[in-house]
Amino acid sequence: MATTTTDTAQTSPDGQSSPGNRPSDRLTPDDYRELLKQLYLARYFDVRLIKEKKRGRLRGTLYSSHNQEAILVGSLYGLEPMDWISPIHRDMPAFFLKDFRSGWDNPDRMGMTIEEVCSQVWGKATSPGRARDNWSHIGSKSKRIIHSTSMLAGTIPAAAGVVLADRLNGLNTVAVTYNGEGSTAQGVFHEAINFAAVEKLPVVTIIENNQWAYGTPTHYEYPLEDFARRADGYGIPGLVADGQDVIDVYNKVMQAVEHARSGNGPSIVECKTFRAYGHGDHDDDRAEKYRPAEEVEKGRKRDPLHVMKARMIEMGILTQEEADKHPAEGKGASEVTDADFPPEVSEYLSRGVNFAVKAPLPDETEGAMWVFKEGE
Amino acid sequence: MAVAVTPDTKKNYLTALKEAIAEEMARNPDMICMGEDIGALGGAFGVTDGLIAQYGRERVYDMPISEAAIVGTACGLCLNGKTVMVEMQFIDFISCGFDQIVNMTATYHYRTAGEVNIPMVIRGPAGAYGGGALYHSQMNEAWFANSPGLKIICPSTPYDAKGLMKAALRDPNPVIVYEIKDLYRKREIEEVLPEEDYVVPLGKAKVVQEGDDVTIVTYGQNVYHALGAAEKLKEEGFSAEVIDIRTIVPLDEDTIVESLKKTNRLVVVNEAPRTCGFAGELLSRMTERAFEYLDAPPVRITRMDTPVPWVKPLELYVLPSVAKITEAALKVCRY
Ligand SMILES: Cc1ncc(C[n+]2csc(CCOP(=O)(O)OP(=O)(O)O)c2C)c(N)n1
Ligand SMILES: [Mg+2]
Repeated sequence: MATTTTDTAQTSPDGQSSPGNRPSDRLTPDDYRELLKQLYLARYFDVRLIKEKKRGRLRGTLYSSHNQEAILVGSLYGLEPMDWISPIHRDMPAFFLKDFRSGWDNPDRMGMTIEEVCSQVWGKATSPGRARDNWSHIGSKSKRIIHSTSMLAGTIPAAAGVVLADRLNGLNTVAVTYNGEGSTAQGVFHEAINFAAVEKLPVVTIIENNQWAYGTPTHYEYPLEDFARRADGYGIPGLVADGQDVIDVYNKVMQAVEHARSGNGPSIVECKTFRAYGHGDHDDDRAEKYRPAEEVEKGRKRDPLHVMKARMIEMGILTQEEADKHPAEGKGASEVTDADFPPEVSEYLSRGVNFAVKAPLPDETEGAMWVFKEGE
Repeated sequence: MAVAVTPDTKKNYLTALKEAIAEEMARNPDMICMGEDIGALGGAFGVTDGLIAQYGRERVYDMPISEAAIVGTACGLCLNGKTVMVEMQFIDFISCGFDQIVNMTATYHYRTAGEVNIPMVIRGPAGAYGGGALYHSQMNEAWFANSPGLKIICPSTPYDAKGLMKAALRDPNPVIVYEIKDLYRKREIEEVLPEEDYVVPLGKAKVVQEGDDVTIVTYGQNVYHALGAAEKLKEEGFSAEVIDIRTIVPLDEDTIVESLKKTNRLVVVNEAPRTCGFAGELLSRMTERAFEYLDAPPVRITRMDTPVPWVKPLELYVLPSVAKITEAALKVCRY
C-alpha cells in the first residue's frame, strides 16, 4: 500500500507512522489541551452562527464544518506563521485558527481576528473584504491566506504561485490548500497539482472527504476507495488520515509539510470525514432527500471532540470528570447550549459576534470602487 | 359551463421550466440530462426534481463537478444523435466549461460545413438583485453573444419560460438559457399555463406594454424594473412602450424598429456591465437601422463596470433600478 503513504522514513509499511517517531510525539499535554479547546471553538463558531441566523440576525448561507473540525484544527496546528493557507466554503474557522498557537489575541498573529471573521459573516465594513463578496470569499495577503472565490479548486494554482514566489525570494514556506472531495473533479485541480509536482513546489493539498458533494455521493465523483491514490499519477505521496482524529490529521499533514519544506514537493492528504448536516443550512431540511438517515446517524457517531477526549483520557491528561464538564459532542445546533462549551470559548466568539452586529455596513459607493488600482 | 380559474392553477417560473423539461424528456426518447446534483436532489433549485425517479441514470446524470467535461460529453452525445440538456448549477460556473462551449460546441456546424449540428441546451440560474455576490449573480451572456454559433435566451415570465425552453430543446443548435433565479418563485408573476403543448419561438421579441413616447428595451429581471419605470413616467405624462427581447441571439430587430417608428425615443436596460454588454449591441443596431426615426440620443442603463458586490446597498448601487431607468427615460422624453 505504498501508494497511500509518504515515502519518508517515518512511515511504516502499514501507512501508519511508527510510534516514537510521529510528529505528535513532540506535542506536550498543553498542546493537547489547546487542540481540544480549538476543536470546541470551531464547533462553537458553527452552532452559534446557526442560532444567530435562526434569530434573524444574519443573512447568507452557512456551510457547516460541524464534525469536520479536526481537519482544520489538526492541519493548521503544525504550520509556521509565514506558511500560506487556502480555505474554501466549509473552512470558515480556518481564517481565525491560522497561527492560533501564537496566541488567540496576539496582535501580531498571522491569522484573522475573531472580529474580522464575524464582520465578514455579518457583511460589515469591518470585514477584511469589506463585505464585497460573501462567506469564505475573504483572505489576507499580509496574513498569507489566499482569497477564495466560488470556483471550486480555483485557488490551487495560486497556492502553487505564492510558494513559487517565496522560493524565488529565498523563503522556505509551505501552502496548504483545502478542498472538498467533489472539487477534485475540476480540471484546474489536476492542472495545478501536476505543475506543482513538476516543479516540486511545497503545496499540500488537503482533501476533506466528507462523502458528499452537495447531493452527489463519492461514487459518482471518482471510482476510488481512497482518493489519495490519485497522487500516484502525479508522482507524489498520497496520505490517508482519520479526519475525526485531530492527532492523526496533525501527523499526516505534518509529514506532508515536512516533506514539502525539505524540498521534496507536493502531497495529497485525504482526510476521511462525514458531512453531518446539509450542504448549506438551506439544505438541512431536505438532505434526507438524497441520503439515508441511517447513513447520517452513523456518520455523526465519531464526533472529533469525543475522539480527542478519549485519547486524552487514555493518555492520562484529562479526567472523565473534566471531559464531561462541557459535553458539546454529539449535539446539533438546536440541542447544544453555551454551557456545553468552556466559557473562554463562548466568550471569545461572543466578542466577535457583538463587534460584528454593531459594526457599520460599507457605504454604497464602495460598490464602484477598487475595479482598478488608481494613482501613481 | 366554463371552469373557473382558481388561483392554484397558476404556476411559477420554476414550475414552468420543470414542466418544459419533463415534457420534452417524455416526448424525445433521445434526450438526456446532465449536471451537478440533478439526480436525487433534483438540482440546487429543484428544476429536475423527479426526473431520475422516472428515467434513471440512463438519461439523467449526476455529474462530477467538471463543467468542461459535462459540456464536452454532452457535445459528443449530440454529435452521435442525442439531445442534451446541461444544467449549470449557477450560470456563473459556465466559465469553467468555456472552451468546450465556444470552441468545441459553438463552432461545430460551421467547421463541418453543416455536417454536424449540436442540439444542446445549457441552462442555469442567473442574474443579480438577490444578494448572491460575485459568483452567484452573473449575467455573462455577452461572452457567448460574441461567440458565433450559440443562441441565447432569457425568459421573464412563466409562459415564456416554458415555451422558450421547449423551443430551445427542439432547436438543432446549441442554446444557452439564462433563467432568472430571482423570478423562480416570485408569486406576483405566476400565471396559468396552457394545458396543451406550445412553444415560444426563438428570435421573437414581445411588446410587454404599449406606449407612444419612449421605447424601453430590455430582458430578464429588468423587464419588471422597466414596467415600474413606465408607471413613474405615466405620472409625469409620458407613455412608455416596454419590449422584452426574450431572445438575445438571434435578435428580433424588427419589433424594436417598428416601435421606434412610433415612439422615436430609445432606452436600453441591461444588468450586465456596460462595456461590451449586450446593451451596447442593441444601441448600435438601432442607431444603424433606426437613426432617422430617433428624436433624441438613445441611452443605456446598465450595471456599472464592476462585478456584482454582495451587500445590498452596494449591489443596488451598481445595478439598474426603477429610479435610474425613470430618470434616464425622462431625460430622453424631454430632450
Ligand atoms: C466550478 C464550480 N462548480 C459548481 C459549484 C457549485 N458547488 C458549490 S459547493 C459544491 C459541492 C462541493 O462538494 P465538495 O467539493 O465535496 O465540498 P463539500 O461541500 O462537501 O465540503 C458545488 C457543486 C462551484 N462552487 N464551483
Ligand atoms: Mg464533499
